[in-house]
Amino acid sequence: MPRIIIDGRPIDCREDISVLQAALDAGGDVPHYCYHPGLSIVASCRLCLMEMKVPNPRTQEPDWSPKLLPACQTPVRDGMEVRFHSERVRENQRSCMEFFLLNHPLDCPVCDQSGECWLQDYSFKFGRAESRMIDEKCKNPKKDVGPHTLLYQDRCVMCTRCVRFTQEISGTSELCVVNRGSRCEIDAFPGKPLANPLQGNVVDLCPVGALLDKQFLFRQRVWLLTSTPSICAGCATGCAIWVDHNQGTLWRLRPRYNPGVNDWWMCDDGRFGWRYVHDGKRIAAPRVRRGSEQTTPDWAAVPQLVRFRIEEHVRRHGGATLAAVLSPFMTCEEAWLLIRVLRDKAPASTLVLGPVPTAGETRHFPVGATGNTVKFTIQAEKCPNRRGIELLLAAAGGNVLTFEQFAEQAGKGEFKGAWIVGGYPQPWVDKATAKLAAQFELLIVQDIFENDLLPGAAIVLPACAWAEREGCFVNARGLIQPFQRALNPPAGAQRDGQYLYEIAGFQGLYSGVRVRAMMAEKIPAFAQLHEPPPMPRHAH
Amino acid sequence: MIRDEDIIRIAAPRLTAAERLYLPQVLDGMKTTLTHLFRRPVTVKYPEEKRALRVDNHRGLHRLNRDEQGRVACVACFMCSTACPAHCIHIVAGDAPWPDREKYPVQFDIDELRCIYCGMCEEACPVDAIELTPEYDFVGTTREQMVLDKEELLAVYDRTCGLKPRKNPRITGYPGTGHRGQSVPRPPADEAT
Ligand code: SF4
Ligand code: SF4
Ligand code: SF4
Ligand code: FES
Repeated sequence: MPRIIIDGRPIDCREDISVLQAALDAGGDVPHYCYHPGLSIVASCRLCLMEMKVPNPRTQEPDWSPKLLPACQTPVRDGMEVRFHSERVRENQRSCMEFFLLNHPLDCPVCDQSGECWLQDYSFKFGRAESRMIDEKCKNPKKDVGPHTLLYQDRCVMCTRCVRFTQEISGTSELCVVNRGSRCEIDAFPGKPLANPLQGNVVDLCPVGALLDKQFLFRQRVWLLTSTPSICAGCATGCAIWVDHNQGTLWRLRPRYNPGVNDWWMCDDGRFGWRYVHDGKRIAAPRVRRGSEQTTPDWAAVPQLVRFRIEEHVRRHGGATLAAVLSPFMTCEEAWLLIRVLRDKAPASTLVLGPVPTAGETRHFPVGATGNTVKFTIQAEKCPNRRGIELLLAAAGGNVLTFEQFAEQAGKGEFKGAWIVGGYPQPWVDKATAKLAAQFELLIVQDIFENDLLPGAAIVLPACAWAEREGCFVNARGLIQPFQRALNPPAGAQRDGQYLYEIAGFQGLYSGVRVRAMMAEKIPAFAQLHEPPPMPRHAH
Repeated sequence: MIRDEDIIRIAAPRLTAAERLYLPQVLDGMKTTLTHLFRRPVTVKYPEEKRALRVDNHRGLHRLNRDEQGRVACVACFMCSTACPAHCIHIVAGDAPWPDREKYPVQFDIDELRCIYCGMCEEACPVDAIELTPEYDFVGTTREQMVLDKEELLAVYDRTCGLKPRKNPRITGYPGTGHRGQSVPRPPADEAT
């Protein structure tokens, strides 16, 4: 482990990193624009320059170099000495900041980035209060670089992070730098808009307000948003994300650093795939039907009611005629509670993994990458928790069927009662599945949208979107990733976890952590959670 | 929990004989009353008479100013609603329909009942679009009437701009104020280090 000395303070750092990264890891606030740990190093912004001791070419003795050196491009070496808090370094930062602001329009009040803008923060901390520019600022129009993204060219600081992202991570190279000097611009190649499935990341990467997301544009100011750590439910990759919400409304998703899973990135399907959460057509209240009469029971009565109907069914038809279809959109905790309820009342009941939605092929990035060169993967499996449900089914043992087997046997009338969990963002009940409803005497459906199973259901329970759930998902690599609840379910609905917790006979508030502790006693795998380390405080 | 050592016990002072008589205090009070009888009254017979207000800094009803072209001057930056301690400003921003402006408020509501008339919003606004006016006599028969929307706030401007013109100091050089690319005077040499 190399040890370097920054401002006289020895710091132990990881191998093969830059001085800048070492300083950031140690909690230092070193300004930087062009450096990003996930991209190649160009050392073009010159903001991170430091004083360093390098071997004197004549004597080979380490000596303070007459020039400042870029900390992002200098690898750490054992025993190396650098100075960050020095007047020369400060002066460079001041000059750089003045330079970045020469043509910057200073339109923070209308800029979406303000509040999370590194030009604002660094100007405040490292810049100077006034500009000495007496000439007209260069004006540059905003450009429509792709279906989701706008480029406000005059706010750009030419860090080329966006260009390097499209070259190195997405591998699609839509963006490029055109012209030179003060006429430098970022642009998309003519006829090739920024439309790759990872393009949303350039908006997060851009340290200033040059690249902005059209869907989020002008919707909220970022300081009004609360960020809750979550896991994307869009595919089996299980990207760590931030759910940014304000007063119960989701406004955007952003990737969260998760080395080895999604690193710093996420895909556009996940990023923009949350609109259904606020769909007005969601089921928001429980319904109970006896004969032709339908009522909306009070939530306090639901646990008792559900338990009674299941017990009644087991008394009449025996437990073996009961089945539960678990959706790969449930968290492990919810699925465990449901399995517990069912196996408690009817040990011979059948457990089924619900349909697993897929779309196209699993895609690797950069485009064409294989093996070690893969930097990001979008799974074809468009649900977050198939492996988690499989893990629980394997642990539960007993009768376990695939959904096809279940549909076939149910079609023959082998099951008289079923608890079917949906929660799919897309419509999932096809004609054949809808026909099964007639086979059941007791059908409990837990779903998020109206579908053709509901008319035949004895009990309908509203399901939640992932942002309203709490628990853990098991991703394609088998990592168990816990996440928190960001939103409350729509008015009138309750969280799946909460009512399942009560139906399972527990009292009080459902908490993923508490249920997980109980699960871990039975299934030790759930004691091993994958929680990514936070990014260093001043890194971006 | 209040700890015993934090409690300071104070005994009531003993009254002297003169104080216990109360007469000197009563006479003292009468003196104040009598002097006021011969002073010029500070009250007016409202609403027949109204006081002259200091137009520049009276903190009354809000208004939303118009820019030179008569459009709402607000650029929907949310500074006012962020600064407002009473959380009574609600803005919905949108794409401005004008080519020279980026963002404008599609909806702008102020709950005048919640407002505490502190003037923080006026202080926070980077384009001086929101201002408090000397208007104080506004009434409504329902709570909803006291939530002023954008049109009503602009109407307040139209009513009061003669009395109190928009300040517009043009401090910011961005499109909202039409001052993009304005040159900034060079600071004196000793400051420019
Ligand atoms: S658009 Fe943003 S990310 Fe791209 S070069 Fe400019 S500042 Fe950097
Ligand atoms: S005067 Fe104060 S309380 Fe009223 S809207 Fe402005 S900031 Fe809010
Ligand atoms: S601070 Fe001024 S410009 Fe910003 S939203 Fe409020 S009124 Fe509009
Ligand atoms: S030169 Fe080091 S971060 Fe840009």
